[in-house]
Amino acid sequence: MNDQALEMITFIKDEVIRNPRISLDEETAIVSGGLIDSMALVEILAKLEDVTGLRIPAGKVKPADMDTVARMFATAARVGKPRQRSLNGKN
Amino acid sequence: MKRPLFTSDSDRSCRRYETLVEALNDAPTSQPFVTMWHDEDRVETVSWGEFRRRAEAQAVFFDSHGLRAHDTLILVMPQGISLMSAFVGAMMIGAIPAILAYPNFKLEPTKYRSGLVGVTANLKAKLIGLDEDFPQELIDCVTVAEGTRTVRVADYPPTLEGSFRRREVLPTDTAFIQHSAGTTGLQKGVALSHGAVLQQLRTLAEALKLDVDDRIYSWLPLYHDMGLIACFMLPFVYHIPLVMQSPTDWVVQPATMFELITAQRCTLAWLPNFAFQFLARRVPARNRSDYDLSCVRAFINCSEPVKAESIDEFQGAYSSCNLRPGSLHTCYAMAETVFAVTQSEVGTSDGPARLWIDKSRLRDQHRAVPVESESTGATCVVSSGRVLGGSSVRVVDPELKDLPEGQIGEIIVHSDSLFDGYYGRPDLSAEVLRGGWYCSGDLGFVWKGNLYVTGRRKDIIIVGGKNIYPQDIEAIISLHPHIHDGRVVAFGLYNPGLGTEDIVAVAELEENVGSDQLLAMEKSLRNAVVAELGVPLRTLYFKPPLWIVKSSAGKPARSATRDKLLAEHPELALAN
Repeated sequence: MNDQALEMITFIKDEVIRNPRISLDEETAIVSGGLIDSMALVEILAKLEDVTGLRIPAGKVKPADMDTVARMFATAARVGKPRQRSLNGKN
Repeated sequence: MKRPLFTSDSDRSCRRYETLVEALNDAPTSQPFVTMWHDEDRVETVSWGEFRRRAEAQAVFFDSHGLRAHDTLILVMPQGISLMSAFVGAMMIGAIPAILAYPNFKLEPTKYRSGLVGVTANLKAKLIGLDEDFPQELIDCVTVAEGTRTVRVADYPPTLEGSFRRREVLPTDTAFIQHSAGTTGLQKGVALSHGAVLQQLRTLAEALKLDVDDRIYSWLPLYHDMGLIACFMLPFVYHIPLVMQSPTDWVVQPATMFELITAQRCTLAWLPNFAFQFLARRVPARNRSDYDLSCVRAFINCSEPVKAESIDEFQGAYSSCNLRPGSLHTCYAMAETVFAVTQSEVGTSDGPARLWIDKSRLRDQHRAVPVESESTGATCVVSSGRVLGGSSVRVVDPELKDLPEGQIGEIIVHSDSLFDGYYGRPDLSAEVLRGGWYCSGDLGFVWKGNLYVTGRRKDIIIVGGKNIYPQDIEAIISLHPHIHDGRVVAFGLYNPGLGTEDIVAVAELEENVGSDQLLAMEKSLRNAVVAELGVPLRTLYFKPPLWIVKSSAGKPARSATRDKLLAEHPELALAN
């Protein structure tokens, strides 16, 4: 597993599900598996943008595209666009 | 300049329409009706003329499949213009459409079958209309009541020879059926006549001071009364433009709602309570300078208990976006009266009435006792506004005796848009209709003419505005071979962090279940609940046999079990 995937998994376990007992790998279904509801996807999507450095355009992503960590990265690669540098200097 | 719809110029009001379909006949053909946002590169707008053509094409299509006046049609299609035109097309031939939630495609086909058998039998549906992307393996499993057929509904049905049989539709005829969620909710099809729906829309339009310059924004699902009535039938009858997204697009990228409102200058939007808090927390603050909400006359908090802190958080987050003072409103609504029963007064700078009351007397004496806001144990409650014209509300004890002002009891409602009963279910109707009054199962009190809704007598759990029946969750968990059959309790627990309820469940294990099996069990049960009901369990506890509190009748007692669980697991309340 690469560092980016590990960072996402750690984030989802610690910040979103808040349950370190949960076993989670790149192929675990988190939305359809009932671990999170679609409301929590906003946080995950924002994290995915941070981790990949890409902007993910509104409406191009459905909950099914975010069901596993592997799929999240595939989605980011498919629809992500290079981010414009924002005014406060952060990416 | 304001051009109110309610002047002597009654030609522009819907007073003269006797049926919903008539409203489409004199809609302004070239003006926009629905703008559907699919993604940032694809936004589709249809004019009234185009919408009418598409609805007529659907009517021809349904007619060719044998759908006739008074037949029921179940529509299972994603949010969008095709679903809306199919719905109206069915009404054009005098048939009765009912929109059901679009399934989660992770659903096991066998469960989907069991889900539809009940509702098709209840509604005696002639046809089930599915969109073209609906998976074949689910359709193969749909066995429905005898006489029901399944058809694929195209976005643009091919033009067929001839036309459809226009039927004379009477105001007393049933226009459509609306439901609440889950297997239990699907037993309760609320059948509404054209007359009742138009009556409600007149009342609502008047209360909202609806104007020809209004424009509605909505992401609310059309299978829910707030989406169907306030955000489809209201603009449909009053010829007001509608800007729409799907609930899943909104929830994944909530900022798009503000972008659309700003760009399209929307004036009205309805949202369940959790959305106010969700929008305040999940939309990046750095984007707020891009939003101009000065166009919005009312954001209306409806469909779940209204919380002062959720409204205040939204106000705090967006006041810098030119949010007008007094533009955050409340409404108390239910499918059984078509929609709204109360509405806070729109157009003043005050917003809904608030009251500081003593929390312990609210809990122990079921009474609202006003106190100073600074006093210890004071809690703020927000009213849902005043009762609308044509409706009456009483707060009563279990014997239906009226309670004095400030005393908490069950809210019962009489309305000129009250339903006649659940479709084909006189047994369920008799449980809730008592002498012309609908027993809502909600608890509340009246203070100085304003209604305050404080809780529920029924066990319904409301998650993000969606009604979930605990017995549906309990039935799913009970099916597991390691769970003692029928020994499961589910309930809702308010989560102030989300502004809505979480689902908590506790289940008794059979003897000899190893602790190594529990994680896998938990995973499969979570999966099953979300697949069937579309909402996740927040917390699931496994307990040894005989842990759950039983009632005198030997059934699990929900509220006693809930109290026991909260006492044993203080972290449950703390986590929230």
